[in-house]
Parts: sequence; C-alpha cells; structure tokens
Amino acid sequence: MVDLKKTSDALCRLAAETGAQGFSATVFTREKQELNTENDQFSLYRTTFDHGAALTVLTEGRKGAASGNDLSDEGLSALAQSAMASAESSQADEANAIAPCQGAHTFHNGPFAPDMPRFYDRLTEFLAAVERDYPRVKLMAMIADHTATHTLYANHNGTAFENFDGVYHVVLEFAGNDGARTTGFHDAAVAFRDLDTPIMALGNVAQALRDAQDSLTTAAIEDKFVGPIIMTPALAQYAAAMLVDVAMSGNVIMAGTSLWRDSIGKAVASDKVTLRLAVDDERLAERDPFTSDGFLSREVKLIEKGVLRSHCLDLYAAGKSGRPVTPNDGATPIMEPGDDSLSDMIASIDCGLLVGGFSGGHPGANGELSGVAKNSFLIRHGKIVGAVNETMISCNLLDLFRSVTAVSREAVCSGDSVFPYVKCEGVTVSGK
Amino acid sequence: MLTDIITPQAACFADGVQTVLRGHENRSRRVMLLQGNLVQNARSESRGVSARVAKNGAYGFASTALYTAEDARAVLRAATDNAVFLAHRAAAPGVIYPALSANPIPPCRPIVDCEQKRIIDLCHRLDDYLAKTYPNLISRRVIYTEDSQDKIICASDAASGHVTYPRCYLYVFLTAESTSGAPVELFRAFGGYGSFEDHFADETVYYEAIDALYQHLMAKREGVYAEAGEKTVILGGMMGGMLAHEAVGHTVEADLVQGGSVAGPMLHKRVASDLVTLVDFAHTAFGAPTPLPVYLDDEGTPATDAMLIENGILTGYMNSRQSAARYGVAPAGNARAWLYNDEPLIRMRNTCILPGASRLEDMIASIDDGYYLIDSSNGQADLTGEFMFGVSLGYEIKKGKLGRALLDTTVSGVAFDMLRTVDMVSDNITWSSSGFCGKKQPMPVGMGGPEMRCRILIGGR
Repeated sequence: MVDLKKTSDALCRLAAETGAQGFSATVFTREKQELNTENDQFSLYRTTFDHGAALTVLTEGRKGAASGNDLSDEGLSALAQSAMASAESSQADEANAIAPCQGAHTFHNGPFAPDMPRFYDRLTEFLAAVERDYPRVKLMAMIADHTATHTLYANHNGTAFENFDGVYHVVLEFAGNDGARTTGFHDAAVAFRDLDTPIMALGNVAQALRDAQDSLTTAAIEDKFVGPIIMTPALAQYAAAMLVDVAMSGNVIMAGTSLWRDSIGKAVASDKVTLRLAVDDERLAERDPFTSDGFLSREVKLIEKGVLRSHCLDLYAAGKSGRPVTPNDGATPIMEPGDDSLSDMIASIDCGLLVGGFSGGHPGANGELSGVAKNSFLIRHGKIVGAVNETMISCNLLDLFRSVTAVSREAVCSGDSVFPYVKCEGVTVSGK
Repeated sequence: MLTDIITPQAACFADGVQTVLRGHENRSRRVMLLQGNLVQNARSESRGVSARVAKNGAYGFASTALYTAEDARAVLRAATDNAVFLAHRAAAPGVIYPALSANPIPPCRPIVDCEQKRIIDLCHRLDDYLAKTYPNLISRRVIYTEDSQDKIICASDAASGHVTYPRCYLYVFLTAESTSGAPVELFRAFGGYGSFEDHFADETVYYEAIDALYQHLMAKREGVYAEAGEKTVILGGMMGGMLAHEAVGHTVEADLVQGGSVAGPMLHKRVASDLVTLVDFAHTAFGAPTPLPVYLDDEGTPATDAMLIENGILTGYMNSRQSAARYGVAPAGNARAWLYNDEPLIRMRNTCILPGASRLEDMIASIDDGYYLIDSSNGQADLTGEFMFGVSLGYEIKKGKLGRALLDTTVSGVAFDMLRTVDMVSDNITWSSSGFCGKKQPMPVGMGGPEMRCRILIGGR
C-alpha cells in the first residue's frame, strides 16, 4: 500500500536536494474496476492497481520533467536525478516557471469506493433493455468502469492540493443491424457519480441507440449542394474541441499560426455562441479542481455571445506570448443552450443534414475541414427522410461557428460536458 | 531490461484455467522544439505486472504497478477471482481455445537508452538547419519521440519469451503562408524500429528528404482545392499503407467481424481486383525485418504472417486465440497490449498491400484528369468498410502530367467497392510506422503499400 503523503514529501525533498530552484511534484494512486461485454455477454473483468509520480524542476531558467511508477526510495531518487538531468540539458527560457502559491486545498468528487454489485445490476439491467427495446441494435462492446484516483500536487511555492476522485464511466460501441444489413459504428459515453439512474436514461444513450436503428433506413444524396447542417451535441463538442486546438491553444498562439491570435474582445463567432470551461457545474460528474500546471481551476469564458474572451494558454505559453494564463485545462466544456427547439430547427431546413459524427482530417490552422458525415440524416422539406451513406462535408471550421443561426434549448450532459444542437449554414455536402 | 521475476511464478498458475502472466515496461522520451523554443522535455518509465486468466471462455484480468514476485502472485490470484466471478454468472460457456506450442521465444534486440542532452542537442541542430535554410517559414517544429516496450511473457499453455520493441522517431513540421494568407503545413517522420544510435547518429542524412518536403510545401502554398466528387487517382505508397490498415485491416479484425463488420459474409469471396494481395506481416517481409517486428504476442502465440486478401479474394481474419478457435484456424500472434495494465486485444502488426508490376511514371501518364495523392495526415474506418483519409500532400494530374499541388483534402470510399477499381499497382513499397492505431488502447503499427490507380471519392469545395 502506497503512503501517498510520505511519497510526495520524499519527492519534494529529493527535488530540493538536487539543487532545483523550483519544482512541482505530483503523485497518485488509482484503482480501476472494469467490466467489459462483447456482443451482449460479459467477457472480461479487469482490476488494475496503478500509481505514479511526476516531477518538474527548474534550475537557472531551465526546465526538465520526468515521470515513472517506481515509488521506492531508489525509484524516487532516480526520478529526481532524471528530471534534473533533463533540465540541465535544456536551454534557459524566461517563460519557464512554476505556478505561484495557491494555498492548501482538499477536494472530493464522487464515491471513492465503488458499489460493484449494484453497478453489475445496473449494467445487466441495461443489457436487457437494449435487447428488449432496440432489437435492431448490435451492442458490440460495453466498457464500464469505476475509477478511483487519489492525487497529491505540491510545489516549492507552497501549493498543496489533494484530490479524491471516484467516477463511474460507461462507453458503448454499437451498430444498427437487422441481420442482413449493418450500419457504421455508433457510440455513446457517459460519466456519473451515483447509480441512482438507469444507464439508458443518462446522456445521449437512448438517442444514440435510436439513431443506430434509424440508420438502417437510408436516403441517397447523388449530387452536391451547399446548405445548412445541424450538429448533434456530440458533434458540437468535437467541433468545439477542434476549434480550441486550431485557434485558441498555446501551440498555435506561440507558433503565430492562429487566425484568432489578435482577436480577444472581437466578434469571432455568431452571437448565439457562448462557450465556457466549467469547474463545478453540478450537472457534471467529472471535476478538474486544479490544472496540470498547479493553478486552482476557475470558470473561463472562451467565447461569449460570439466575442472571443480568452485563449487557452498554460503557464509556459502564457509567459511566452505575454498573455494571461488560462486557469482551466478544458476537460469540462459547456456550450450554452439557445432558444430554439430541435424540432423547429429541423422544420426550418429545406435541404440539409443532421450530422452526428465526422470522420475527417484534423483541420490545419486555416480551419479548412473536409470529411465523411457519419451517423447523419438527410433533411428534406423540414423532415428527416433517412440516413446518408458515403456523403462528404466540407467547410471552414472558423466560418462554421460564424455561421451559426440557431442553438437548441435541449442540451445533452454526458458527465464531462454539456452541449446543445447547433445549426450552421454554408456547408458543402456531396454524395457519391 | 526487465528482470525476470515472471517465469518462476508458473508454478503458481491455478489448475483448470488458462493463464498468461506478463511483466511489462514502457519507456518514453519526448522533446519538442517550437520555433526553437523547448516546449517539451520529458522522460517517463512505467512498469508493472499483469495476469489474464480464462475460465470457461470468460477472462479475468488484474495488474499492479509493483514489480515483485509477491505482487505477481497477488495479481494471479486477483485475475483468477475475476475470471471465476464472470464464469459463474455467464449464461453459457464461452469459447475455450486449444493449447499451443510451448517453445520459448529467444530475447530480441535490447533497448539502448540515450541521454536527454543528446536528444535535445539533436533537435537544436536540426532546428538551426531549418531556420537558416528556410527563412520564409512562418513556423517550424521538431519533435523527438521514443516509445519502447519490454515484455516478459509466461503462458500456462502456450509459448513464453522475453521480447522488446525499441522505437524512436524524429518529426519535422514546416508551416508556410499560402498565397491567400492562410497557413499551410507538411510534416515528415524519420526513424523507426531501434534506438537513438540506430537512426540519429548523423541527422544530415535526412537533409535531402527535408529539402524535398520543403519543395512540396512551396508548391502547396500555391495549391488549389481538389474538385469534389469521384475521381481517378493514384494513391501513393503512404496512402496505400493507410488503405491497408484503415480501410481493410480493421474490417478483418475478428472481434469486429463478430461485431458485424462487412467482412463477415465475404470470407472466400472476391473483395478486390485480382491485383490486390494484403498480408499482415509478423516480423519479416520481402527478406528484411518489418518496421515493427513482432515475434511473440501477449497471449503466448508465436507470431506468423496472416494472409488477409490473396489476388482479390478475402482469405482470413486477424485473430486472438479465442477468436481463432471460434473460426477454426490457427492464431497468428495478433493479440497485443500497450501498457502493463492493458489486456491483449486483436491488433494489426505490419499490414501491407503487396507490390505489382506497373511503373509510377506509366501510371501518371495513363490519367487524363485526376490526382496523385502522396501522403496522408490521418485515417479512420468503419464496420461497413467506409473509410476516410486526410490527404496532406497531393497534385493534380492533367493529360498525363503532374499539375498544381492540392490544399488539404479528404478521400473516402467503401473498401471492398474501391478495391475492385484498382487496375494498376506499382512495383515498389513505401512503409511507415510512426503512428499509433487507436482501439481502446493505442498501439504502434507498421503499414505499407505500393502506388495504386483506382477510383475514389475526394472532398473539396
């Protein structure tokens, strides 16, 4: 059994003994209980006991980092020496820094010990519900786990964080299948803190299963058009993550390739778009109380009614670019819902797509995007007429968020994010 | 290298179950220079022991980050308990697989460590070269990565051995401003199986290839959007490898076949033109080591080649021991795990479409209006065989000659439809191995292919 406090103290002492002028140390233990099914049957029961340590040191403006899972005295000593050797091999950079003191805080999130018998019953109940209510769905795999993580973070400036985190997760992979035909992959993932709610009622699980069944009915697109699409909450979250990556992240700001590098305070998206990074929204099972850099996490508005309020910069990127640190690692994004109903959004479209997934290349800094519309449905004359196959969509990601004309009041909480349906204009859709 | 605390524990394997005990260490090294600034400088080692126990076809698995004989025995007990838990609740017994040859696999290549200073110095020298030689770039990145694995595998009813997978790469990313003012980017990876000294003792050997990358970037900055629609194209060797992996390889992994993949009903039927033969190589191809040689998998199966498509006919799947028993074939060693706490999954190794007889020049000359698609940024595939590749480098072909470069685009299709349109296959192979395949766990894979002429759906504006 690892004594985490003792290990953290030892690592901090060893870091100081290397002569480091600054350091931060993270140690953790993690226990995972995981049940897997394959084709509707439980196939694997997996239990893992993990622990690890990570150390970052600063010396004369040079920074090095090392991590490992040998927490013996010799292992920790080797880790400290390795981090210091890395630092001494690197160049001095005035942007290298350790976060200032944030005080001492202890956080608790979710049950640290799982209720495995009750979890097993919930999973069994779910498998039966799928078989009963979705006979044309083939549930290929379910990965269900409870993960309990105990983390200590400390740095030489006096910050001391302790976090106890226990969350259940279910990841589903399935397809519509009627014996003769199969659809492509569909998936759903939810995180939750208690077992009070049937899994079928969480996040978008039921809707995703319905979509898989409905995908067996197809509609052909034989030509090309430019028109509106509605992104499902899952796709809107994916698109927002890409947007952060190509326009707001530290790498593109430091590289100077972001087209939004000088756009703070300017309108970059439709005024219907508000995107924020949450900390303690009650709807979310996942919590990220402090950043990997050692800052207390705070709520951050990235885009407020279309206006860019913040980039996403860690301590180094902030120092390098002369901008403020973003005190949030972005693990729990939320897009604010709008005033429209999904049914009205669909009814407003003469010819377009409801897009549930996207399989495409990662956009470059220019935001150009093209790929295959997955788990998507053709909308004609205000109604969904069938699933589409072999259909490509092309657009510019930055333009896509400028073109938003409606945001649904319905929103889906998957446990680590909350996103609504989002209607955008001007997407090129081409069938075979 | 790992100390062998694993093999002596065979005496503790429980009766009436099938057991594999694995000692496993991963080592990673990361250095990244962005515009000459050291933005990543990290070293990591993780080590542990895991056990997988099968009882009546149900698996129990347990692992710990501790690495002692006592801990190995503890995970054996925990994995056995987990297997018993599931086996008692199963409505019907699962597939029980037969024993395999127990011949031990000899140790392979050692993993040789390198001081972080040498890695950082290498990256700085290369970055200095880029900055001086190509002053008109708006951004440059040099990234060094090493992801090596060391495993000791001991099976109750299969082979045992000590196997290593040293692997390191250097990535060069170049970004320029296009004529319209938007950034365009290309990258190339160097390195492969082996340690630092095997690949990077002299980085100047890569200058010629970097210069070629730069010339492509200069062409791309004046590039045009592809015309959307179905086109005749030549897929370059890198794209051919991506096709082998994404479009076909995933659909013939036996667990996905069980899940309803399009390959299920197609066994022993034509799925491609007779110019197409596809093999998942284990450790040797064309008389040389593959990019990522696999000698023994994590279920104790000695690795052999898996023929997947032969002259256009689907001939087999990639299997675990359990799925092989289900299909009545011998397993070929495709069950692999990434970290010590991961269970083995069916994974590709070195998936390659075999070369044909055509010359690339003749293939280009044969196209009146189409594209030569050279390199891919990423790819994904579906149960239905519908696939997508990002295209990062390509050119128009007009009247049998290469034309303007293309801006980033995407191609897609349905594998078994598209492969039937292959009517020319070049006489050379391009391998790549720098990426990871994602399927619950990441996994290093090799992929290779020749140039192929085919019809494919291309995205554009």
